[in-house]
Amino acid sequence: MKKRLYSIVFMFVLTFVFAAVVSAVKVHNEERIQINQQVKLQRVILKVLGVPVDEKAPNRVVIQAFERRVKAIEVKQQTLYVGYGEGGKQITGYAFPVGGAGFWGPVYGMVSVDPEASRIMGIAFYRHSETPGLGARITETWFTQQFAGLPIFPVEGDKKIFFLKPAGPGKGPNELDAITGATGTSRAVEAFVNRDLDRFLREMWKQVKKG
Amino acid sequence: MVQVDAGTLLFAAIFTNNILLTNFLGLCPFLAISREIRSALGLGAAVVFVMTCTAVLNYLAYYYVLLPLNLDHFRYIVFIIIIAAFVQLVEMTVERFFPALYYILGIFLPLITVNCAILGASLFLIIREYTLVQSMAYGAGSGAGWMIAIVAVGAIREKVQKSAKLPKGLEGPALTLIITGIMALAFTAFSGMIQIQ
Amino acid sequence: MPKPLSSSQIFLQGLWNDNPVLRQILGICSTLAVTNLLVNTLVMNAGLIFTVGMSSLTVSILRNYTPMKIRMMAQTLIIASYVIIVDIAIAAYLPDISEALGPYVGLIITNCIVMGRCEAFAMKNRPWASFLDGLAMSLGYGAVLLIIAVIREPLGFGTLLGYRVMPEGFTPWTIMIMAPGAFFTLGLFVWFLRAKFPQTAEEKKQGH
Repeated sequence: MKKRLYSIVFMFVLTFVFAAVVSAVKVHNEERIQINQQVKLQRVILKVLGVPVDEKAPNRVVIQAFERRVKAIEVKQQTLYVGYGEGGKQITGYAFPVGGAGFWGPVYGMVSVDPEASRIMGIAFYRHSETPGLGARITETWFTQQFAGLPIFPVEGDKKIFFLKPAGPGKGPNELDAITGATGTSRAVEAFVNRDLDRFLREMWKQVKKG
Repeated sequence: MVQVDAGTLLFAAIFTNNILLTNFLGLCPFLAISREIRSALGLGAAVVFVMTCTAVLNYLAYYYVLLPLNLDHFRYIVFIIIIAAFVQLVEMTVERFFPALYYILGIFLPLITVNCAILGASLFLIIREYTLVQSMAYGAGSGAGWMIAIVAVGAIREKVQKSAKLPKGLEGPALTLIITGIMALAFTAFSGMIQIQ
Repeated sequence: MPKPLSSSQIFLQGLWNDNPVLRQILGICSTLAVTNLLVNTLVMNAGLIFTVGMSSLTVSILRNYTPMKIRMMAQTLIIASYVIIVDIAIAAYLPDISEALGPYVGLIITNCIVMGRCEAFAMKNRPWASFLDGLAMSLGYGAVLLIIAVIREPLGFGTLLGYRVMPEGFTPWTIMIMAPGAFFTLGLFVWFLRAKFPQTAEEKKQGH
């Protein structure tokens, strides 16, 4: 009986001590982790808006650049990031999140359009769970670069703003290369980017134009 | 949030994103046991069962207990405890009701607890934000995929070791790893198969 | 009672004679996945060394107070706690790498080496010796994985630690980024080592 009691007490004390240590470490680092998340998002936004920030730049440089060049506004309950030029007066573009179900997990990205919302300026995917070497290639430059300059316009019915077709020659103006061997991911990206672009044009853009 | 339906997920977890051949999980017992097909099948079945159930249990623990209490950083501890407890339960049940199976599996049953694939599956389903049904499908699929991989490689290995004269140093783990590599290569061929709407 | 090993003997045992990966083929699960990039491998190794070292140390300090029946539970709790600390530290100070490593840091808990050393060595030996043993084992393990990464990253990405090392015209071997590449590399490496340095009598028998 004494042995059993000792075992229980031992486990309790051990658990308590270690849980306390782990909690302390967590609390101590919580703020830092949150800032990391925030800065990560800011980096992506700055990148698609074409604001040059060194990849290795420390957090405060990124935060400064963001505060100088970007303003976040709420439009129809969604966040829109307005990019400004060096002087802080002229609008250089708009960025907004795109995302949806990928093949293996949710994909999070950011897309930017020019001040007239007529073309895409850039796109970047910053979080996903796709297969490395296949679906994960959506983060590669050759893939995201295709979107630059793509004209966007509201579409009716089943039509899409752009298509991802199997890689190869003979593409129309709104057809981009999908990723070979990653049909699932390619289809998913095509679906949610089209959906989010359309939603931006229909809902958010109207509001922004009004001022 | 993920659109994939449970059936496709199950299929994909077995073939295109096999937890062993793509994610490297569950290798330790794999290298030790894949000698005999019978034990490999028995172990595989046990793993499927444990993986599916712990995926569900850990999902519930995470979303209904840990997150609401803001204790999600303790998930590693909680998950492994749930897995250990469940395996203990399975071990006691098998010993009581299926003694023949218990004899075959021997020490490998409690070792399921430290099988990286079991904990790995639970961690992956959190990262990928699966629903309960998807978690179940993913757990079952991963377990089945693991079982298929272990049985297939075991069978090949058995055949090779019996019939071929191997160069020095190749026998054992080196051979198993190379066979696994070829099998992983073969499985990537499946990646073009899955189409989702 | 066998004579306790000297510090250098313990170290050597971990690094070479009993190298976990090469001799016992243990614990490759959690780290093999990240060996496609050298920097990820380095961070993962650091995490593992910390975990194995500290866990062995702690288990050894508590070994005379730990009831036999619950020692597994106690070891698991200790190991899991250190892994959580490593995970938080990486997330706080190396966020990009944390994202790339994903769940694999957490999987250090199930890494056979950690539990194996706690049970096989730390439970029976003094704290300093246990700490050294843990250190040596994880360093030996880490060394092998570093070699694998040094092969995989240049061939798969054309870079090493992010710096381009392959000539411009080189087409990367995508297969090296994916699972098969890792299996082949490790398999060939183990084959080479076993053929060149047969260690145990069993292995000598196999070398015909």
